[in-house]
Amino acid sequence: MEFSEPDIQNHQSTETTAGHTGGPHFIQRPAEPVQTAITDADRWQLKQQIDSETIPLAVSAAVFASGMNGALTRKFNLETTALALLEKAGLQPKWKPTRPRVKTFGMTFPDGLEFMPPKQEKESGAELSRIEGPKTTSSEPGERKKSTRLKPPANALSLEDRLFYLLQPPLQSWLAGQELIMPFEPFPYQYEGIAWLFSQKSALLADEMGLGKTMQTITGVRLLLRSGQVRRILLVCPKPLIPNWQREFKFWAEELPVTVVQGDTARRRMIWEMPNTPILIANYESMSRDFETMGEENLPRFDLVVLDEAQRIKNRDSRTAEVARSIPRKRSWALTGTPIENRHEEMASLFEWMEIIPPRGTPDLRQLQVLSKEFILRRTKDLVMTDLPPRLDRPAYLDLNPAQQHAYDTAEKDGVIQLNEMGDSITVQHVFELVLRLKQITNFDPVTGDSCKLDRLEADMEEIAASGGKAILFSQWTKPLDFMAKRLERFGTLVYHGGIPTKQREPILDQFKHDPDSHLLLMSYGTGAVGLNLQFAGYVFLFDRWWNPAIEDQAINRAHRIGQKTQVIVTKFVCNNTIEERIDMVLEQKRELFRSILGDGDTTCESRSLTASEIFGLFDLKQKKGDVTKKIAPQVPGKSAA
Amino acid sequence: MGADGGKIDLKLGFLTTIECPDGSLIGGLLVTNHFGRPLEFQCTTPVKPNRTQEVLYGPTLVPFLLGEVIGQTLVEKMNIKPHLVLVEQEQAMELQNHISIPVAILTDVEQIIEENAAYISEQIGRNRLRFDAAHQTGKTAIENTSRNIPADADLGEPFERVREALNEAVKMGSSR
Repeated sequence: MEFSEPDIQNHQSTETTAGHTGGPHFIQRPAEPVQTAITDADRWQLKQQIDSETIPLAVSAAVFASGMNGALTRKFNLETTALALLEKAGLQPKWKPTRPRVKTFGMTFPDGLEFMPPKQEKESGAELSRIEGPKTTSSEPGERKKSTRLKPPANALSLEDRLFYLLQPPLQSWLAGQELIMPFEPFPYQYEGIAWLFSQKSALLADEMGLGKTMQTITGVRLLLRSGQVRRILLVCPKPLIPNWQREFKFWAEELPVTVVQGDTARRRMIWEMPNTPILIANYESMSRDFETMGEENLPRFDLVVLDEAQRIKNRDSRTAEVARSIPRKRSWALTGTPIENRHEEMASLFEWMEIIPPRGTPDLRQLQVLSKEFILRRTKDLVMTDLPPRLDRPAYLDLNPAQQHAYDTAEKDGVIQLNEMGDSITVQHVFELVLRLKQITNFDPVTGDSCKLDRLEADMEEIAASGGKAILFSQWTKPLDFMAKRLERFGTLVYHGGIPTKQREPILDQFKHDPDSHLLLMSYGTGAVGLNLQFAGYVFLFDRWWNPAIEDQAINRAHRIGQKTQVIVTKFVCNNTIEERIDMVLEQKRELFRSILGDGDTTCESRSLTASEIFGLFDLKQKKGDVTKKIAPQVPGKSAA
Repeated sequence: MGADGGKIDLKLGFLTTIECPDGSLIGGLLVTNHFGRPLEFQCTTPVKPNRTQEVLYGPTLVPFLLGEVIGQTLVEKMNIKPHLVLVEQEQAMELQNHISIPVAILTDVEQIIEENAAYISEQIGRNRLRFDAAHQTGKTAIENTSRNIPADADLGEPFERVREALNEAVKMGSSR
């Protein structure tokens, strides 16, 4: 394969110039390769060696005279042309490494729209996009939280709709101190309720009273607003519950602006027609009155209508029910703690409003059961309380130590005299100061440091420490905590309150959890009540009482929460014949009162706090004017100052 | 707060693929904000390599499919471009050779050894990320912006969503 063109031409030219000898008419082949292999000299040498004789083997052939021979002896007319023997190897480009085209399917979420090139500004985005920086939770780093995933509703048929739900993050991470700040962490069943509401177009939430329908609804609303699925919401409830809803909204979703439809006709009309009001709250009466006068064509449109105490529309022929059905809306949620069981009709009316049965439809019992499964969510306390081991409240009524008693009596007497002398200039603040002073004395005698509570605590702790248990204690004040810590050192007591630098707090909780010799953690309500998981502690002490039972409950819930394996024993210290007894009584009465009047959703904070008149009522305050003595207290209608 | 919104938005892409019963692959890419809230989702139709590709690509077939065919297509298709694409399959790291957006793989702390320690980011959420050895700029960039990601965020979680969505897509596709 080493031939090159000039070589080839040389051979050809030698052939042409060699001439014809007339011998056999064969062109003499160039035999260089053979010649170079065996030369004449070699042959001669060989001949010498073998002493042989050359005998010509060739037989000469005579040419037969055919007459053509002359032509045969004529010289060939040869021409030379250069021929390239090598070409590049031809490739047949059958296959190229190309990237196959892949079809895609995609969807953009409402949240994503704002990142898309020019789009309208987000409505009232400022209020809705409250974002808090990342928070470290106290949960163990490796521990994976149980997650509640949103499920696509059964009637979502398009892939896009179904993916919308499937691709949402678990509710827990959505709510965990990120964008949505929750005052307290919802219970697992509440998460489920929220997730269910969120994905339901028609829903009847019929949880038993006290399970937090209000909170679940508000959070559901919040999520819908945040995810851009609804923009305008109407909540209809009985008139007396409006303040309750306002309060709950403020408590659970403080960033959501809530507008109450109230005032005279003109004003109400203006509110109905006002744009950019995400949440309207109206009572049943004004809703039916206003909507009737507006006429069906002019009714405001809503993305979501919520009927609280929805049994109000159980009579489908009532004016309220008719008006409620006429409201143009995309989603319909009904709330009631007492789903109707006596007559089918009543349930049918609700279902008709929820637009899951045709107008005037009369489903039979079996059909109702089927519909109920899909559209009603009802949980009872028995059902959800299995989430938690029991909590045993054990109030400890204690008598003050003599030194405390003396200090207490003196302070109370002086204080009341002082207040009485102030007459009309008296304010809640003054009374508050006295209350605080007295509460402090029930904790410790200011002079000797004696404390009946501490004595009792020590006795209890001996037992708890001996059994290897762990206890947490809450107090309103931080200084006494430090003081107590010294006296209770032998229980491996740790202190956790607002005065502890943030960096040191985690290690303290860690030590409390893991150190077997650490049996007691002293905390302040302010710092310890929210967001900590201390479910390994089986005992809770409330050293003094907080003004608000909801905060106390939250404090107790640090230990009494999911993950707690044993019962939680809660000891509330109450000193006999002191202000504490009276506070305890008022708080208990309030709890009862709200339980009976408001029933469910009464987890609010303010509603159960002491009002001004109640604080005044803790003392027998009287004002003397001349000979007449009158009780003094802020005027609150319907409340006696006693 | 709204004013900060623009500054701190860090968009993360989560790319994963599932294998259908017939051996074809479906890829999905979910772009979320730094809280894990979905912004955009794209998925591919099933991708099945033909015999020629199988033979000729040999062991590089899967990286080719995951990175170039599926990954690059999805990233290009996205209207909302992520700042970082996270993958969970080692072979999908090939994507880095085809896009300019940094690509990282979730890595467990146990996997950190001397030689790759330099490529592994500090803790982001509950996870650590490993970047391609040749593309370390992404690592620095992400470490600077990742503080917006909540400390208890689990960056592995969104992959579950993508897988679930892909399975749903397969189900819906096959029922049609």
